[in-house]
Amino acid sequence: MIEAKDLAKVYGAKTAVAGVSFTVRAGQVTGFLGPNGAGKSTTMRMIMGLDRPTSGSVTVNGLPYAHHKAPLHEVGALLDAKAVHTGRSAYNHLLAMAATHGIPKARVHEVIEMTGLDAVAKKKAGGFSLGMGQRLGIAAALLGDPQTLILDEPVNGLDPEGVLWVRNLVRYLANQGKTVFLSSHLMSEMAQTADHLIVIGRGRIIADAPVQEIIAGTRQSRTLVRTDSAPQLSSLLAGDGVTVDQSEPETLTVTGIGPREIAEVALRNGVLVYELTPQVSSLEDAYFDLTKDEVEYHSHLTGGPALASPATAGK
Amino acid sequence: MSTHTSTAAAPARSSAGSHGVTFSGVLRSEWIKLWSLMSTRILLLLTLVAIVGVGALAVLIRYTFLDEMIRNARDQGQTLTPEMMEQTFPPGSGFDLYNLPNAGLQIGILVLGSLAVLFMSSEYATGMIRSTMNAVPRRTPAFVAKAIILAVISYVITTIAGVATFLIAMPVFQSIGFDLDWSTDGVLYSIFTGGLYVAGVALIGLSLGTLLRNSAGGITVLVGIFFVLSIAASFLTLIPGDFWKYVPQYIPSDAGGRFLSIGHTDGVIDPWQGGLIFLGYVLLFLIPAMIVLKKRDV
Repeated sequence: MIEAKDLAKVYGAKTAVAGVSFTVRAGQVTGFLGPNGAGKSTTMRMIMGLDRPTSGSVTVNGLPYAHHKAPLHEVGALLDAKAVHTGRSAYNHLLAMAATHGIPKARVHEVIEMTGLDAVAKKKAGGFSLGMGQRLGIAAALLGDPQTLILDEPVNGLDPEGVLWVRNLVRYLANQGKTVFLSSHLMSEMAQTADHLIVIGRGRIIADAPVQEIIAGTRQSRTLVRTDSAPQLSSLLAGDGVTVDQSEPETLTVTGIGPREIAEVALRNGVLVYELTPQVSSLEDAYFDLTKDEVEYHSHLTGGPALASPATAGK
Repeated sequence: MSTHTSTAAAPARSSAGSHGVTFSGVLRSEWIKLWSLMSTRILLLLTLVAIVGVGALAVLIRYTFLDEMIRNARDQGQTLTPEMMEQTFPPGSGFDLYNLPNAGLQIGILVLGSLAVLFMSSEYATGMIRSTMNAVPRRTPAFVAKAIILAVISYVITTIAGVATFLIAMPVFQSIGFDLDWSTDGVLYSIFTGGLYVAGVALIGLSLGTLLRNSAGGITVLVGIFFVLSIAASFLTLIPGDFWKYVPQYIPSDAGGRFLSIGHTDGVIDPWQGGLIFLGYVLLFLIPAMIVLKKRDV
């Protein structure tokens, strides 16, 4: 279990984390979601005692991380896939980490096998691909068979087989009663893996709820309607709490009432409807709804003329 | 490349053990870290060769010089024996042979000091430091373990090199009549203190690597302290007035150098005082480095 209380980190004039409080419970996968620069990594680094909180506190299994007698058995963390000396082999890296806790060599071989690193274990970690680096980071996190796992973007750079493996692994560990806290910017991944979500934006917690609740709660259900008399149906449906958008000549998106009510209105008025599809809102929709005011680094599309200019300059 | 992964049953807790962090475990971890880098192994071997090599060269130069003096004297019909030379020239003027084991010491300072900087700074450069701090979140034990390993390795290498250099020097000088062997005053002392001095330099290097977190910066400052500062300080002696003549002996390299020599000279700090001053410098770097390491975000 991870408990953060009014946890804050301020770098000079910039507030990275602005006093967040949350609890990550055992026996489930808790996802940590937020835009770039929202404070996810900083929060995780404070949990691991790498960064000192400006104020507030955070405990893991009841104690600050550094106060545990056997930290690697309490928490395994993958915070940065490149937290490895580039000149050392994966095997020796794990062996050196294991030595601090007297973890037997057999366990080092075990995590190497679990993460599929057998073939490259004796090679220098500096030559690893991003995916291999992630596997090594996960191997290091699993080394002490910890009660709590903290994984920052674990599927980053993994191949589909690796993504599936991580998903199964974290689900398995959560079912074993362990605490799993993982961040990801891949919302589809979160929707499939996490039970509970903590959404952070600009250093503040925006949502802290089960995944299903977040998906259901943020956006009203929409229904896609195709009809050959769109303007007529549109005016019939419009009313209190109902909005109708017409995107194509014969297509309406209706929010506020369900498919059955729409069908009843159409039947009563003799309007032909040839498609009626409920639009399930995804976690992605929910996420954008939640974070639309919190995104720090908006991306902008470059305008046409700017794109064209190199070509003209070349002439 | 095959990347087959198994979702094998998570192993029982027993397979990972359940020991806590122990200092001996941290020592073993740092030992594995040092020796598992090919660059370190090559560097340490080359250091040994270099110290003995430079030492042998220095032995050759001094032998040629002394041999020449004896020949010249003979050509002029005089006899100049090693005993006469030892009595004619004051201690510290270059005719003492007891310090021959440390003839190649400067190379040892340069390479082992740099290795010590890298032992910490490379962890910052590669991000390894975060793995280290995850495994040893109290941080200080990891630093102390690194310090012990560096001090011991520096001491052992310097001592082996010192013995080897002296084994080369002894027959060379005996061949022209010098009474030089293991029982000569100061020989064993300089072998013993040479190792301590280089171990101290290594600890300063480790501290610089920790404080600056940068390999190039750390090595530059180390060279500045042990090579440039000594040259700069020698200019102070050109300033009129007696006071400035006594200042350079207090800088780290000169105080350390004095620690390696024997005998009392008026107006110069005694060897044990030089040793204490040098120890003070080591602590001056070591303690702030430990405090900063403990407090700073990584």
